[in-house]
Amino acid sequence: MSSAATAAPAAARGRLSLRRRRALLTYLLMGPGVAWLVLFFAIPIVNQLWVSLQTGNADTGFQQTYNWSVYPDSISQYTDQLFRSLGYAATATVLCLVISFPLAYFIAFKAGRWKNVMLLLIILPFFTSYIVRTVAWQTILADDGWLVHRLQDVGLVAHDGRLLATRTAVIAGITYNFLPFMALPLYVALEKIDRRLIEAATDLYASRVTAFRRVTLPLAMPGVFAGTLLTFIPALGDFINAQLLGSSQQYMIGNVIQSQYLVVRDYPVAAALSFVLMALILVGIAVYARLLGTQTLRESIA
Amino acid sequence: MPHEPLEKVVERLLDGDQHSRREFVQRLGAMGALASAGAFLAACGGVAGTEKKQSAKQAAAAANHPKTAIGTLVVSNWPLYIDKKTPKGWERKYDAKLDYTEDINDNDEFFAKVRQELESGRPIGRDLVVLTDYMAARWINAGYAEKMDKRNVPNAKNLLPSLQHPPFDRNRNYTLPWQSGMTGIGYDPQKAGRLESINDLFNPKFKGRVSFLNDWRDSGGLVMLGMGIDPAEATKADVQKAIDKLDKANKAGQIRRFTGNDYAKDLASGNLWACVAWSGDIVQLQADNPRLQFLIPKDGAMVWSDNMLIPQDAKQPYGAETWMNYYYEPAVAARLAAYVNYFSPVNGAREEMEKIDPKLASNPLIFPDEETQAQLHPQPSLSAADERELTAQFQTMTGA
Repeated sequence: MSSAATAAPAAARGRLSLRRRRALLTYLLMGPGVAWLVLFFAIPIVNQLWVSLQTGNADTGFQQTYNWSVYPDSISQYTDQLFRSLGYAATATVLCLVISFPLAYFIAFKAGRWKNVMLLLIILPFFTSYIVRTVAWQTILADDGWLVHRLQDVGLVAHDGRLLATRTAVIAGITYNFLPFMALPLYVALEKIDRRLIEAATDLYASRVTAFRRVTLPLAMPGVFAGTLLTFIPALGDFINAQLLGSSQQYMIGNVIQSQYLVVRDYPVAAALSFVLMALILVGIAVYARLLGTQTLRESIA
Repeated sequence: MPHEPLEKVVERLLDGDQHSRREFVQRLGAMGALASAGAFLAACGGVAGTEKKQSAKQAAAAANHPKTAIGTLVVSNWPLYIDKKTPKGWERKYDAKLDYTEDINDNDEFFAKVRQELESGRPIGRDLVVLTDYMAARWINAGYAEKMDKRNVPNAKNLLPSLQHPPFDRNRNYTLPWQSGMTGIGYDPQKAGRLESINDLFNPKFKGRVSFLNDWRDSGGLVMLGMGIDPAEATKADVQKAIDKLDKANKAGQIRRFTGNDYAKDLASGNLWACVAWSGDIVQLQADNPRLQFLIPKDGAMVWSDNMLIPQDAKQPYGAETWMNYYYEPAVAARLAAYVNYFSPVNGAREEMEKIDPKLASNPLIFPDEETQAQLHPQPSLSAADERELTAQFQTMTGA
């Protein structure tokens, strides 16, 4: 009797603690991720927001003065670089899309047993460092190089003109460096398409163009969306291409942030510009998601 | 060079332009780690300032560092700035151990790293550091440097006369140069013809074919020389005049780029016809591109040094002094100069170099003659506030 009486609550306790253990397990599993985000995202963000509102200098120290005017001031001082970054990143993203789509389409539908080799070829440049790849373009685009001479022959580059240290070189560099970020998500989206849907479309008297436009393209939209974001966001903050392939007339906002942090050591301006960049990206994504429709956004995330 | 040290080979492989000992590392650092730890940490929270009253210690007269046994001497220097034999030679001679670290990639970055200790008057865990002129000046003015006991450094008499009285340390009480370099014009005579003056860089014939260094001390200094201003005595307004001149040229498309020493690649491949360049880089470039020339313009050139300096409260000031003294033996300095290719501040190293490599000994960029030395001008020495303002202005002018 007494043993049964004690056993029941014990069993109840056991069930409870099991439930509790399960709840605990959820937190445990979430723990590393949350800790990571707090430690390396939330805290630095708050810290940099705090830094951006300080005034002073690196030699005599910075004091917190809640100087919100740093935002309008740095935006107006670096308007050129901000717009230039937007323009270069957008152009490069469109170019990436135009180049990647046929490429990804070919790999997904036509490459057959060469599929893996071709995917490997896309990723292969990543085996070397970003900087080395960009420096290699300095050699390809050199003033006395083969490419510039041929372009001069056909009149695409002026006789005393050049490619290096121009806008063209910077945009080309960004396009080249971020191409795989566009091509791979596109490939994944195209690969996932059920071929029977296209077959069905043609069975229903759709021409191949119509089938592509009404079936393939809409189903590839999640890939377009993901690829665009993966390309546009890092391209917007890039400074290596402008530094190595451009001149000071091509400097992007990333170059300014780098110089403000490491050379001028005006940390508030650098932090403020970083936030402006983040805001630009968020607004950009929102507008873009609006245009493409939120459903695509959800699918691409899933 | 038949026996190229391994580091140089690696550096060559890594770096197509095969010259850039220091700036290469600096560049990688800056690019790879946008938020370099030092600068980033310094940015976190309100950082106390670095301008400090002259410490009482500094005001005290001559330093006295009695001879003691040296345990482990901790030295920080720039990468690829030493040969293999020098550390071993010193260890044998003084029966001590050397802890030599190549952890200075950038003056400001290194300063950010040790600033907190310096400000609170604690030792920074190093007995000797090597800092470029303006940074050495900043440490001396802030009282972060320990005076040398010159009795322990008799070889300091071998310092080249032209380097004995820099504006920031008139009697070399705190510092001795490790290596020096000239900032002048590197150019390709086949493309640019013969150049004479700094102002040739502004010749419209060379539009888009010239570059300047991304630093107002070097670029601004040279432009001032072209304007007839002595950089060593220059005021902030003088430097601003030079920056204005560069701004106009840049807006007109005259200046192709503002560079670190990545100008070397552009110069060697013919993208640049003339540029502001460092002597040590050109020496190394000439090995493969004998046509390239380093010009000390008729208006003068700039000279800078990376200086050995004992930080405050170093554990082994005597040990640091023996290291300085050892390096100032001409034979040691010559051996090191044969490896580093910048210009050696040690008198008599040229004679010693004759024995090692006569070709290098006759290279005027490693051992400039006295006439050349007379044409060299130290970089401007201004207050920290003025320097900060000029750095910001120069960066804005370059578009970043």
